[in-house]
Amino acid sequence: MDQTCCGQPAMNAGYWDEARRMAKHTIEVFEQCPDPIVIPSGSCAGMIRQGYLELFRNDPEWLARADAIAKRTFEFSEFLVDELAYHPNPNQHQCKFVYHPSCHLTRGLGVDRQPKELFLASASVPAQILETECCGFGGVFAIDQPELSSEMLKRTIKRLVDPSADVVVGCDVSCLMHIEGGLRKCGSEIRCAHLAQLLAGQKMGLR
Amino acid sequence: MKTSFRKRIKNAIADPVLQQALDNNADRRRSAQFTALESLGDSQYLKDNARRIRKEVIGDLYNHLKTFKDQAKRNGLVVYEAADAEEACSIVTQIARNHKASLVAKSKSMVSEEIQLNQALEKTGLRVVETDLGEYIIQLRGEHPTHIITPAIHLLKEQVAQTFHEELGAPYSSDVSDMTLIARQKLREVFLEADIGISGVNFGVVETGTLCLVTNEGNGRMVTTLPPVHVALMGIERLVPTLEDLALMLKLLPRSATGQKLTAYTSLIQGAQQATDPDGAMERHLILIDNGRSNLHSSSLQESLLCIRCGACLNACPVFREVGGHAYQSVYPGPIGSVISAGLISIEEYGYLAKASTLCAACRDACPVSIDFPTLLLRVRDETVRTTGTVWGMSVAMRIFSWLVRSPARFSFAQRMAAFGSKFLPKEDGWIDKLPTPLSAWTDSRRFPAFKSRPFRDRISDLDLQPISTTSAVDSKIKVPQSIQPTAMKNYVDQFQDELESLGGSFRICSKHEIAGVVFDTIQELGQDRILSWNPTEPLFDELLASLSSQGLEVVYPSLPSSEGHRGAPLAEFGSFNVGLTGANAGLADTGTIILESGEGRSQLASLLPLHHLAILPIERIYPDLESWLADGGEMIVANTSQLNFITGPSRTADIEMTLTIGVHGPGSVLVIGVEQSH
Repeated sequence: MDQTCCGQPAMNAGYWDEARRMAKHTIEVFEQCPDPIVIPSGSCAGMIRQGYLELFRNDPEWLARADAIAKRTFEFSEFLVDELAYHPNPNQHQCKFVYHPSCHLTRGLGVDRQPKELFLASASVPAQILETECCGFGGVFAIDQPELSSEMLKRTIKRLVDPSADVVVGCDVSCLMHIEGGLRKCGSEIRCAHLAQLLAGQKMGLR
Repeated sequence: MKTSFRKRIKNAIADPVLQQALDNNADRRRSAQFTALESLGDSQYLKDNARRIRKEVIGDLYNHLKTFKDQAKRNGLVVYEAADAEEACSIVTQIARNHKASLVAKSKSMVSEEIQLNQALEKTGLRVVETDLGEYIIQLRGEHPTHIITPAIHLLKEQVAQTFHEELGAPYSSDVSDMTLIARQKLREVFLEADIGISGVNFGVVETGTLCLVTNEGNGRMVTTLPPVHVALMGIERLVPTLEDLALMLKLLPRSATGQKLTAYTSLIQGAQQATDPDGAMERHLILIDNGRSNLHSSSLQESLLCIRCGACLNACPVFREVGGHAYQSVYPGPIGSVISAGLISIEEYGYLAKASTLCAACRDACPVSIDFPTLLLRVRDETVRTTGTVWGMSVAMRIFSWLVRSPARFSFAQRMAAFGSKFLPKEDGWIDKLPTPLSAWTDSRRFPAFKSRPFRDRISDLDLQPISTTSAVDSKIKVPQSIQPTAMKNYVDQFQDELESLGGSFRICSKHEIAGVVFDTIQELGQDRILSWNPTEPLFDELLASLSSQGLEVVYPSLPSSEGHRGAPLAEFGSFNVGLTGANAGLADTGTIILESGEGRSQLASLLPLHHLAILPIERIYPDLESWLADGGEMIVANTSQLNFITGPSRTADIEMTLTIGVHGPGSVLVIGVEQSH
């Protein structure tokens, strides 16, 4: 298990030389194993599937290696639905679930239908799917532009509070961490959970 | 140094008036675009096509530009090339000097903002008046546009009322119709008196050398028709290869910009006033402006040249929604501005704008040519770091981070250290309430989950993992394009009527024999006894005009001198008429549009100056859409006509608080009389 970080924070911050060094490390680690790579985060999956191709667009050797990795990289929900045809059991928790489609997953990777199918099959009624609207996380943006990030977070929280949700389900842990951090800061009882937690029937909340 | 970007963002967020104005704008714009695109059926297919066309043009930009330039010259335009802002401004200044001009009427043009043309012209003593309502308001206030389509969207109507009261001496009224009427009166004087009209260009058509200009208020038509000299400013990238391609762009641009199926006025300008034309600009100058576009073209940001300046990315952007346009301090705000300001002007000056994005791609989805904004914004960030170095103060952190990441042992150690450090921070229910600076930027509005003493990468080996069987990892992510949904075969005449009436226009059908009576009655109902009219040599018109005259109507056929001479007096006279009567070459069912060609006996003033416009349209000339008209002889008409005007309902604006107001500069009512030729 030599896997560490894919390097997305560095790429997003504009430090592409550092991002390339991290990407090369990740590619080398994944080259040691021929299996599909399944990533429980839309933006990390997007980094490997699309970001690496951009980082190495002028480097044929690494571009080919990145491309080979990209072709067997899947986001979690995409893999379950498209590759395994997985059908979840209904979750036993009796609470109001809402699904937050994160931007990098939905718009970036184009993975929209799969997590919604899993969510609706698993979440107890009445489950609700929100519109794709940025929560304001954006990686380094959250630290670099805290005022903007916080305003966008406020808007997201408003959409969750009215009509009131109990659990916010998503496929990007960092967005969920940002949202639950905001909910907790303002004293809300609403919690977040990764789709995998819902499917596995785990306790809700990001712990 | 200007106020820092972050400070400007803070100020914008803290400004309750701005926030209210932005909230009013955002959702309505987006839903309007969504609804308008839905009316196209498979809009994604059209967007893909538009992208392909634009990519083809930009890929071979200089050849296309040369062909376009040659064609425009053959059409009689005086064509210039300006390498930069200074050169462009000096060309305009020289044209103004040659004509001893003193008053310039301008319709909205972002490239003119980019080259700071107003300042350059005013320096030479010229009076320059912006005639788009939104631009006029901000000119009076001494501000810059906050949005590339709706420049005054940051203002509430009470602020506009105050400006009109202070600057124009108008009695204070925050009623949007009242304010629009004041602007109509003030600006009408400018149109009639102006020596030069300046406009932008929405598209240049390569094969025909045609300039296409879209406006809603009618000011674009005014400045390209009334003053003796018209100067068109155009960025070198605004090209489409053919008229058919233009038709596609005209499906997407208004829908994406304002949610309209077509703007009220779409003008196709081919050349200056011909000997047989009763009116039109006597001289037309076209200035092709580079000003950094060639730099963009040879850079990794080339894709940004696909932009057709619709502003949809601004409306979709969650960051623009929070701060508006002024915080960017660039002529081009929002996602497109964050890319091209850096590319057109300089990365040192504007590279930092790209930081204000979560890369959420709402802009790319909204873009009619699907510009890949997230990738371009990332490239700007990369370039900014490489050219301006460690301005962000993040360099050291990133280097350490990268060093940790490249060794699993170091990474694991760092995670444990973070967990150890977490122990000493104040927590609520396991979440850290306050992180030390600079990470306090996070905890000011959010809590942060404390690091686990055993990271997941260690815990995963405890899990009872079962191997799974996998289907082959195939690369099957290619989306299959859906075919275009067949348009419902509705009767085109009915569809034309529905569309026109939905815009506030009127439509009625009569036979050839009834037409004189219908026209006369309509004019009577409007309480008028004189009209401006076309007098083309057509039997239908000959009979109609003879009948109207015999019933005591004063019928005037407007015309303007086609040689040097002041147009003010005749224009003032024609401007006093309240009814204009014209024919129409064709109608377009999908948008409720009528197409009016200029030429002998076909004055453009008759459909522009009066408050009421009556148009006679043979109903067999109603086509399903622009493409079908172009294919059925329309292309020839474009090539042989100095100026064609596509009129889609009455003149309109939504520049003040997005409140729709009818009759800004052009007619406030449009009545189309459909004539059944066979009866």
